[in-house]
Amino acid sequence: MTGPYATVVIVASLLLALWCGVLLIANRPPNRPLWVGLGLLEALLIGFLGWGLASMLARTTDFARLEFALYLLGVAAIVPLAGWWIRAEKSRAAAAVLLVVLLVVPVMVVRVQQVWASV
Amino acid sequence: MSERKVNAGFGRVLIVIYAVFALAASARSFSQIVTRFDEAPVAYLLSALAALIYIVATIALARGDRTSRTVATVAIGIELGGVLTVGVASLLAPEAFPSASVWSGFGSGYLFIPLVLPIVGLWWLHRTRPMPGS
Repeated sequence: MTGPYATVVIVASLLLALWCGVLLIANRPPNRPLWVGLGLLEALLIGFLGWGLASMLARTTDFARLEFALYLLGVAAIVPLAGWWIRAEKSRAAAAVLLVVLLVVPVMVVRVQQVWASV
Repeated sequence: MSERKVNAGFGRVLIVIYAVFALAASARSFSQIVTRFDEAPVAYLLSALAALIYIVATIALARGDRTSRTVATVAIGIELGGVLTVGVASLLAPEAFPSASVWSGFGSGYLFIPLVLPIVGLWWLHRTRPMPGS
């Protein structure tokens, strides 16, 4: 499903993860440009959610619909939840939290694709 | 390091990893039980138990008060026991685990994170334990 788009999401997430890794090593909390990047990633993920749900409704052949929808909703929710979780964290742990989440996003996107491809 | 709170600093990172596993295990077991429970009821119930333990551990670590610390220690202890037991059992009797749970093969399907996580969790609880008299 949505091959090139999913690839863009994965690459964007990994680049942001790299950025968080640099902040973590430099012992710094997330800065404003990173938040802008996270906002863009979230926009991509909401697009992915919409596209995925629309594709799911349009598809007539059988596949694991529930799992598919849960992964789509999860991957769209995880970045905002992480942002909320580190709202009061001023240390580099905030960057580490985002690093974890930004590595989870590509895994979830791949799982969405696997569920879509499996019958 | 003056930080002694279980749910701040490194603890915040740990809790996120727990939350991710709570989410992943719940979603997985939910869809397993709803769609194909009769295929492998034991494995799927085990998945659900693992999910429940991750949820309890996540919430208890995030709350971080004295009672929650005890709850977290028990939950993470069960988690460690579970991953070791299921890990050994899935190697000795693979036919009993036709569908992978988070703990199968010591969590090998999840980069062995399920095996490392409870050890790190217990270490962190120990490290952030309240000082006497506080």
